[in-house]
Amino acid sequence: MRTWLKSLLVSLTFAGLAQAAELRPPAQATAGSPFSIASSGTGDGTFYLIGPAQISKRKVNLGGEISVQGHEVEQAGTYTAIVCADQCTSVHFYVRPAQASRLSLLVHPSRVRVAASNAISAVAFVFDRFHNLVLTPQKVDFKVVPPEGAAISQSKTTANGTAWIRLTSARKGGPAKVRASIGDLAEMRVVQQVASDACNLRIKAVPGPKGIAVETEPVRDCSGNFVPDGTVVSFTKTDASGKTTVDAPIKRGVARVEMAVSGPARISVASGVVNGNELSLGGAR
Amino acid sequence: MRKLAITILRRLILLLAAGLVIVCFSFLQSQIHAASEAPKVDLNADNVGPRAIEELTSKTIARDYANAWKTMAEALDKNRVDLLDGYFTGFAKDKLTQLIAQQKQTGVRIRYDDRGHKLDALFYSPSGDAMQLRDHAQLGIEILDGGKVIHNEEANMQYRVLMTPGADRWLVRDLVTTPEVKP
Repeated sequence: MRTWLKSLLVSLTFAGLAQAAELRPPAQATAGSPFSIASSGTGDGTFYLIGPAQISKRKVNLGGEISVQGHEVEQAGTYTAIVCADQCTSVHFYVRPAQASRLSLLVHPSRVRVAASNAISAVAFVFDRFHNLVLTPQKVDFKVVPPEGAAISQSKTTANGTAWIRLTSARKGGPAKVRASIGDLAEMRVVQQVASDACNLRIKAVPGPKGIAVETEPVRDCSGNFVPDGTVVSFTKTDASGKTTVDAPIKRGVARVEMAVSGPARISVASGVVNGNELSLGGAR
Repeated sequence: MRKLAITILRRLILLLAAGLVIVCFSFLQSQIHAASEAPKVDLNADNVGPRAIEELTSKTIARDYANAWKTMAEALDKNRVDLLDGYFTGFAKDKLTQLIAQQKQTGVRIRYDDRGHKLDALFYSPSGDAMQLRDHAQLGIEILDGGKVIHNEEANMQYRVLMTPGADRWLVRDLVTTPEVKP
């Protein structure tokens, strides 16, 4: 009986020793923070840590704690810890992102016409200091500061690390600052709001050295913003010699051309899709 | 008579051997072909917002994401960083470049046997310059140290993907596993 018991105990002991070493990772790990993985078994083994951007391999003593350094787990995601002695065993664990510490802000377009409905979009991505997208909901405060007038604020909670808003551009031209922030973290982009199409385009004619000088009144959009210099204005003259069109860019708010006129003539003006007034020369105006 | 029988037998054996060689060759060819094929990707864009995905974009996303996985698997298998240039950018490319450098350093290698992906488009930015997706991937994952397999599993993985448009294709900008694994 004793012999039988002894042999049973010895067999159980050896069976226990022959069992593969096991690893017990922590229930939760955070990117960049060191922690330990408990191991079972005896003797030496090789430890592997495989992550999204990391592979570590080192000799370890089984049965103790295996230290994992912060730099080994900077990337959030699923990690595989493997220990090999006689045989290999493995476990998976998840490393979650660290605290939000970076904001990436996409604002489009960089240049927009005034009073354009929902023309500006701002998308904020929230990252930790290791560039991991923070997937837990975060409150992002968006603030738009127009060149004149009161700032507009709106808060959005991130979904899957992303928050976004749509904005209508202001009626007044100039740079609008679009800002996204979480606590002390902030990112800002500037959207240039430019005048829309010309509105109430009007011309006048005065005698010039080479004929008639035709010039516009200061060209503004319907909100009163000056249409940018360089915008082309087309002058069309119809007289006895036929029809002639001359394009002239706006300079200092005004477009100007000189035209030779023979007899009665009609001069009209247009900019883009907008038509202005028409002048009749050599007859009633 | 005996000589004739031996000759016929020899010819039969030769014929069988030739047949076997042809079958083996065809099998190897098909395996090589299968390995170089892009995995199957199904994209569901029913719940995407705020912008709807255009039909052409949805085809392009599925094609380019499949190519991204194909090139990633090849890059990791062959330790070739240059293969990442085609379909990866930003953080995703940085991470994979680092991973390949560590593979070279440690002699450990990750092999993917890609069984396909189910993509759900989650977010498509209003200006069309970023798309976020969730991928349920079925993968065979093998980790080798030198020639020895130290880990082997069939896994259902879930990834969060950020893609942005490039000159003629969509590029993977971020690729992260998330813990919600659904078998």
